[in-house]
Amino acid sequence: MWFLLMLVILLTNGMSAFGLKMIAGWGLPETVKYPYLTAWYAGGLAAIALPMLLKGMRVGKTEIFWGAVTGALSIGGQIAMAVALGSGVPGHVVFPIAIGGSIFVVALAGRLVFGERMNPPTVVGVALGFIAVVLLGVS
Amino acid sequence: MGLLFCFLGAISFGLLGSALKAAERKKANAAGLVVAAYAWPALIMLVRTLLLKSGSHVPPKVFAIAVIFGICAAVASLAFQVSISIGKVTVGWLMMNLSAGVPVVVSIWMYHEKLTILKVVAFGLVLVSILFLSWGQMMEKRATGAATKGE
Repeated sequence: MWFLLMLVILLTNGMSAFGLKMIAGWGLPETVKYPYLTAWYAGGLAAIALPMLLKGMRVGKTEIFWGAVTGALSIGGQIAMAVALGSGVPGHVVFPIAIGGSIFVVALAGRLVFGERMNPPTVVGVALGFIAVVLLGVS
Repeated sequence: MGLLFCFLGAISFGLLGSALKAAERKKANAAGLVVAAYAWPALIMLVRTLLLKSGSHVPPKVFAIAVIFGICAAVASLAFQVSISIGKVTVGWLMMNLSAGVPVVVSIWMYHEKLTILKVVAFGLVLVSILFLSWGQMMEKRATGAATKGE
């Protein structure tokens, strides 16, 4: 189950941002990204909400609260990166710091807040993955 | 000043991953959480689109790929949320970020982008990292199994 989930994350999350690159390749105006993102979020929303509705499941207060928290943090991160890029910091500096740094913060929270202990192979895997993510950001 | 915002971005995204784990600990339903997390930006983007000057034509293929990749993103979010209930949040979050290698590979294939030494090293590290993470997960599963048998 875990391996399947990791594979799904790797492939689907990786491809999720590829559409913007395709649009850039088509040479469409900059404003196209707004209807694109509307359909992007709506498509994702419908893909999860429709099966939920069919099963008679509802979105509770807990989900609405944490959904709003994560939404605000996501927007906060995007704005911070946009400001950094806008102030002249090159992309090969911004992306490795923002993405690599977020892994460090999650690892710290995982250990200190959620009490997650990692065995030696996992520590090595996380360390190598961290370097890989930074290198991907630089390249 | 720009660098400060880089670090603020890192903290914000890191807190995002941590908040998702906190939501899991609070027994938030994974699918419900994804729906709630997608509803707000969908609404904001819809308002932003409606405020655009009329007359700008959007080709249907833009909507088609938007829906396809939006579904990909939602499935990834759901898989991540389920994965952190059975595995470590750090590993799940790392996998979300390692997935950045996938569009790089597709770009090399589709747009004939240059394959640099740095990219080759990064891909190699991604593969080795996944092998170690899988090994760690197997060890943990065995340890959990042994502990359950011992009880």
